[in-house]
Amino acid sequence: MPSPRFPIPQGTLDMLILQILSLEPAHGYGIAQRLEQISRSVVQVNQGSLYPALHRLQQKGWLRAEWKKSEIGRDAKFYCLTPAGRKQLAVEKDSWARLSGAVNLIFEEGSR
Amino acid sequence: MIRLFNWFRRGSLERGLNREIQYHFDRRVADLTAAGIPEPEARRRAAVELSLTQVREEVRDVWLGRWLRDFLYDLRFSVRSLLRSPSFTATTLLSLALGIGAITAIYSLVDQVILHALPVREPGRLVLVDWNGDDLITGGIGSFNLMPYPICRELQQQTRFFEGVLCRAEIEVNLTAGGDPRPVAAEIVSGSYFPVLGVGPALGRVIEPEDDAAPGAGPVVVLSYDFWQAQFGGAADIAGRKVLIGNHPMTVVGVAAAGFRGVDVGAVPAFWIPTSMYADANLDTDEDLLNNPTRWLQILARLRPGVSAAQAQAGLLPWFRPWLEDSARRPWFPVITVEKRRLYLASSLILTPAPQGHSPLRRSLSQPLWLLFAATGVLLGGLACLNVAGLFLARGSARARELATRLALGASRSRIGRQLLADSLLLALTGGVLGIALAPPAMRALIAFLPHDLAANALRPSISLDLLGFALLASFAAGLLSGIAPALHAGRDNVVNSLRERGGTGFGGVRLRKAIVTLQVAFSLILLIGAALFLRTLTGLLAKGPGFDTSSLLSFAIAPLENGYSRADASRLVRRLDEQVRALPAVRSSAAARFAFLTGGAWSNNATIQTDRRIVSDRSVNFNAVSPGFFATLGVRLLAGRDFDQSDSRPAGEIGPRCAIVNQAFVKRYLAGRDPLGVRIARGGHTDVKPDSPIVGVVADMSYRGLRDDSEQVFFPLFESDDTGATFYIKVRGAPEQAIPSIRRLVRQDDPRLPILWFRTLDDQVNRSLNTERMLAALSGSFGALALLLSLVGLYGVMSFVVTRRTREIGIRLALGATRASALRLVLRDAAAMIAAGVALALPCVAALDKLVQSQLFGVTATDPATVAAAALVLAAGALVAAFIPAWRASNVSPTDALRLE
Repeated sequence: MPSPRFPIPQGTLDMLILQILSLEPAHGYGIAQRLEQISRSVVQVNQGSLYPALHRLQQKGWLRAEWKKSEIGRDAKFYCLTPAGRKQLAVEKDSWARLSGAVNLIFEEGSR
Repeated sequence: MIRLFNWFRRGSLERGLNREIQYHFDRRVADLTAAGIPEPEARRRAAVELSLTQVREEVRDVWLGRWLRDFLYDLRFSVRSLLRSPSFTATTLLSLALGIGAITAIYSLVDQVILHALPVREPGRLVLVDWNGDDLITGGIGSFNLMPYPICRELQQQTRFFEGVLCRAEIEVNLTAGGDPRPVAAEIVSGSYFPVLGVGPALGRVIEPEDDAAPGAGPVVVLSYDFWQAQFGGAADIAGRKVLIGNHPMTVVGVAAAGFRGVDVGAVPAFWIPTSMYADANLDTDEDLLNNPTRWLQILARLRPGVSAAQAQAGLLPWFRPWLEDSARRPWFPVITVEKRRLYLASSLILTPAPQGHSPLRRSLSQPLWLLFAATGVLLGGLACLNVAGLFLARGSARARELATRLALGASRSRIGRQLLADSLLLALTGGVLGIALAPPAMRALIAFLPHDLAANALRPSISLDLLGFALLASFAAGLLSGIAPALHAGRDNVVNSLRERGGTGFGGVRLRKAIVTLQVAFSLILLIGAALFLRTLTGLLAKGPGFDTSSLLSFAIAPLENGYSRADASRLVRRLDEQVRALPAVRSSAAARFAFLTGGAWSNNATIQTDRRIVSDRSVNFNAVSPGFFATLGVRLLAGRDFDQSDSRPAGEIGPRCAIVNQAFVKRYLAGRDPLGVRIARGGHTDVKPDSPIVGVVADMSYRGLRDDSEQVFFPLFESDDTGATFYIKVRGAPEQAIPSIRRLVRQDDPRLPILWFRTLDDQVNRSLNTERMLAALSGSFGALALLLSLVGLYGVMSFVVTRRTREIGIRLALGATRASALRLVLRDAAAMIAAGVALALPCVAALDKLVQSQLFGVTATDPATVAAAALVLAAGALVAAFIPAWRASNVSPTDALRLE
């Protein structure tokens, strides 16, 4: 019986993927596992929506992909961040911080 | 763009995605089984988590974009469904290709003649400077917008308005460049010409202001790129070569930039020479053209940036008025009346924008070309679109059930409309490509039919980028126009209705389309009748002939005056050549005439006739001067009196011809009922003309200007002191072509610098003189054939539509015992009604057009019953065949199938 979790807010999946890939290149399953860890605790990610997001980010030029041997010795498609992707991540982090800061401000004002 | 690219590599993208997802899936299954879940269950869980099909679809959307993906699938579907109905596809493509090909061909001519700006620097700032006012001082040489040279020089000082001013005239000169001399079209230009236009050399240099500084200063020639390529094989060492212009040696100094063909679309020069050399260029004048008011040049000016033509025109007045006053005091100014002088002083200059340069060809062709363009655009293009729309509607009705099923299954209306639009766009673009392939031969044909010999040199049947754009635009428009109606139609139908609909109902648009087909039939019948009439005119004229026997008859012409001969020398040359030609073994007989026959022109004037009273002819009489033996050489019968002989030639110093020969028509009109021999006549109708040449002979009628010519003619003896007659008529033994080299050799021996203007058999000459008739026959014939084809396709489309709609009705009739023949009749009756209505519409139109075309016809009237009947028969037969195909299909309807369609 899974515990009640938030559905992931619209648009944040892209940011999460960029964040995960900013640490090290990973293949789809690796990203999924990483998302799984996050989602087990906080939010719910539909595994199926991962691949359209990856292809979209790649088409925008934020990700680069190449086939490499994975940890189990099979070929897997590894994604890594491009410089443009790194810039985009910074932008998204920044706007996220401003948005959540603003929301916090409103909440604090309300509770005062 | 990336998305479109993705479409073409979607195979490899799909494979990559499959591998990627397979990896994910395998890892997930492995992890789950490691966690103790049995493998089948693990597989099921992994598949559910990933929802494989949806992932693939969503990723594909990422690759291509939703819209593009749908559209590309639509296109693929369209291609397949169009290939499944090849007859529909073929008729549609045929309609479109014919329509677009015809429009494109005509547009290219419109573009070249009317719209195309000169390939020079900023053509938008060029203006034509023209004289507005009394044109009294002198007549000009040449055609339109002519100005005297001095004013060009002075306009160049008006730097407040103009960056530069150029003048130019087209001339024909005899060029000798290693080989036989020959007449070539050239342009004589001011030194400012190339700098003002901003045209540079492709090789060497262009004409510069220094070349034009003083009379005789620059004996230089700049070749056009095309002429350099064609005549000199693009020789790299052309600069510095000597050529002869007339009798004067000049030096080729360069080749103008490729693509520059002068400032007149109608007169493409082979080369340019500076105005300083006009005296050497044989302008047939002894006048000092650079310092007198003879108008012989056109002036173009380049406006300063920011100055409009109107501003410059107004600004020039304060300068021009004093200039006029001043010129009226010059020694060369003619003596004129006070009134004329006042008119002269009131003259002004007009400036008209001339980004396309100056062109009498444009002037004479632009109206017929626009007309032709509008006609093809509306008639052929419009008919083609209507046909295609009709075919689409027909096909749409045949596909109604398919579409209704798709709608019922949840396809949106816009989705289905888009599918239909994809169909029509695909067809239109394919049709467009076919049309573009058809365009160059169509253009070649059109150019060949244009009346001017010049047009053949000036217009090119080439496809430019502009033209491609136009054709694609036209086909795109055709696609939209013809696709939009069926698409809207598909969107409007109610699902339930169209599923329930069985046929018999929903005849929307059929009446309109029947009306259109009727009009098409009428229109093509008019064109067919026209074509038949012009064809009969052509054959009639050919059968009539010129009134003399053209077989084994040759003619050639020379123009010794243009090569610097004096009149007396020219006359001696012609006489000498005439004698030498006659002495050749291959020549049976030979004669010379001052003017050529069957070239469209004539030496015409009034004639004064002295019988018991003085008569002046009430219309122009055509004159010529011929040598003794002329009529015998051509085989024209002498009806009375005698031919000229050597004693008729007038000695130097005597004025007026010694005698004359007239034709039968002349006798019939002016001397009916009396003996023409001995009657004295003269050329001219003025009161001071003295009729003192007695008629010594009467000849049978022969054609002078052209084959239709039945004019009154008067012939004088050639070989008088100042005579320059120069067209030779030679009757040869055997094939005419074999005699040509020996005659050419003769002329070359006498004067190697004298070009032979033309050398033709008379059969060829007769053919040439029928160019207009041939053009009319061919144009109306090809338009008629096109229109007929299009209307047959239209008829076929409508009938197919009707048959599809009535399949059930026909099935029921057949089931109830109607015979197949009656079903056939049922459908054909419909078609016959449309054809009959079309014919009934066309006949009064033909009768109305009678007056308009009668002057172009010969030996046949516009309402000639046999011609009209034949054309109507051809049309009706074609139309019935077109209607028969769907009718046959209707009669072969199997009753059970038709009812099962329920």
